[in-house]
Amino acid sequence: MSTARIAKTAFKGMGRNKVRTFLMMLGVVIGIVALTLVVSAAMGAQKRIMERVRKFGLDSLMVTAGGGQEMGRPSSGLPTTTLKIEDAQALKDEIRSVVDVAPFNRRSQSEIKFEEKSTTTGVFGVTPSWEPVWDWEAKKGEFITEDDMDDMARSAVIGETPRRELFGDDDPIGETVRIGTVPFEIKGIMQDKGTSPGGGDMDNRIYVPLSTFLRRVANVDYLWGIKIRLKSVNDIDQAAEAVAALLRERHKIAPGLPDDFTVRKPDEVKEMAENVAGTFNLFLIVVAGISLISGGVVVSNIMLISVNERRKEIGLRKAVGAGRRQILLQFLLESTVVTLAGGMIGFLLGAAGARLMQAVTKLPTSLSWQSAVLGIAFSAAVGLIAGLQPARRAAALEPVEALRS
Amino acid sequence: MTQPVIQVRNLVKVYNKGGGAEVHALRDVSLEIARGAFVGIIGASGSGKSSLMNILGCLDKPTSGTVFLDGVDIGGLGDEALARVRNRKIGFVFQSFNLLPRTNALENVELPLIYSDKPGASRLARLALESVGLGARIHHYPSELSGGEQQRVAIARALVNDPEIVFADEPTGNLDTRSSYEIMALFQNLNTQGRTIVLITHERDIAEHARRVIRIADGRIVEDVENTRPRDAEAGLNNLPAQEAAHVDR
Repeated sequence: MSTARIAKTAFKGMGRNKVRTFLMMLGVVIGIVALTLVVSAAMGAQKRIMERVRKFGLDSLMVTAGGGQEMGRPSSGLPTTTLKIEDAQALKDEIRSVVDVAPFNRRSQSEIKFEEKSTTTGVFGVTPSWEPVWDWEAKKGEFITEDDMDDMARSAVIGETPRRELFGDDDPIGETVRIGTVPFEIKGIMQDKGTSPGGGDMDNRIYVPLSTFLRRVANVDYLWGIKIRLKSVNDIDQAAEAVAALLRERHKIAPGLPDDFTVRKPDEVKEMAENVAGTFNLFLIVVAGISLISGGVVVSNIMLISVNERRKEIGLRKAVGAGRRQILLQFLLESTVVTLAGGMIGFLLGAAGARLMQAVTKLPTSLSWQSAVLGIAFSAAVGLIAGLQPARRAAALEPVEALRS
Repeated sequence: MTQPVIQVRNLVKVYNKGGGAEVHALRDVSLEIARGAFVGIIGASGSGKSSLMNILGCLDKPTSGTVFLDGVDIGGLGDEALARVRNRKIGFVFQSFNLLPRTNALENVELPLIYSDKPGASRLARLALESVGLGARIHHYPSELSGGEQQRVAIARALVNDPEIVFADEPTGNLDTRSSYEIMALFQNLNTQGRTIVLITHERDIAEHARRVIRIADGRIVEDVENTRPRDAEAGLNNLPAQEAAHVDR
């Protein structure tokens, strides 16, 4: 009963000094705007990471040549030559949970030329199974076929990035590009895929038949990796073990010696993707947190000034029967209600800002009710903490002392 | 005779002014105030009359001595309990009105009710304002009221919780003659209705409106007399020369 009346008093107190209320609110608004922007950017990044992992495929494994830490780069610096096309076939034939395999080799940063123009891109030697294993198709023309493989055809499927670089608005199909010195006829354009889990541009590629790549481009007989599609997400751990065991057997690796390949699961891919985006978010959240704290300091200072200015009011309230607890409650409510309102305004402005940021910078943002609740709860906590010291000071005033002045 | 509403025994109040200097505001004061009394306490500034009021009004604590208020020894009460006593048994009227600015008359009068559980705050406040003749100005802000009117709002505030005693500390100190008479008439009227009133002033003619006058000097009661013929504020008001209608005195 009396608490409700004190709450009403606190609300009225805010309305009576609008400048003070506005200044108190401002610090919190700025802090919450920053926090909302950063959190929505962080959540947007998280969402993008999950999209990238989904691109990798949640029911997929990646085998790469070499036992080193980094994909495809063995610690010795020399390429690992033991992963062969026959290994891919054996994985498909002998492990029951494997649906299909996509063996491939690649050369990054290769120059390709069309007439006088040239660009740098990754050259991928792939088999027709690349399409179903990656869920990734040619958007125009056709992909590499079995006939291309058998004939060691000099045909290529071009990704969106080199296509734009070399052909602009012209249709590339039927045109001939040179990879190194070897001419290839373009027969298709690959569907856009965007950024890889590792942050690379998955559209900056040109695909040629694996047989042609091994013989004419790289002049080797080993693979860079094998992408494996499984029957179900649940098979991942078991399949990863089976793949490793089979490859060790085929490569005749004695027990105790390290693998000469690496098997990567989707959760490791996720980890890798998070490493690319993670650190920068944490830093920004800390910065936003600091701005919220400085908002709290402003609230605390203004409350202290306000308590000093209102000594007479406090004395009067005590004279007419307010106890310590009731004065404490009034001032705590005043600061909390102000910061709470600031938090709500801040969230709305932050949400609008996030939309704007997404429109201008193309960075993904994501808002959720959780971040609204978090921001508003934080601002209420700031009000409570910042208001505590001033409220205690107000409550401790002796009525006679306060009435004097 | 019924139990006195205030019983004070051997009251002493000493202020420490720092550096070991002590000020003896009250030296061994004892007195009783009967229910329904109208007591004027008169004294020069520094005589100790305000210290006495602050202690009787539970705003301050004595250095020694006992105070019984409505039969309760207030020396044994903690801060929260004293706040409750002030809320329920005491109404204050101050020299400088002490109204909350930017707060209308009604809300100012409602103030004590915030800290009590009485239902119908706004109705009680309205009744209190009507009883001091301000029924038509309940939504006015202090800045829109004359000094006399502001003091009447303050009196309504003092009455709203139906207290045993009203303490008035120099209530006419900031008012012109006419407003002073109006306020004193209001107090006399309240007293006739049975309200106990303790009036503190340094002006003898104001104190003479009370039915008992206590004079304090140097922290001691030096005179305590029944005033058999108190001044009639109503009559004083009628004897004032006719004044210009507007007496805005702020």
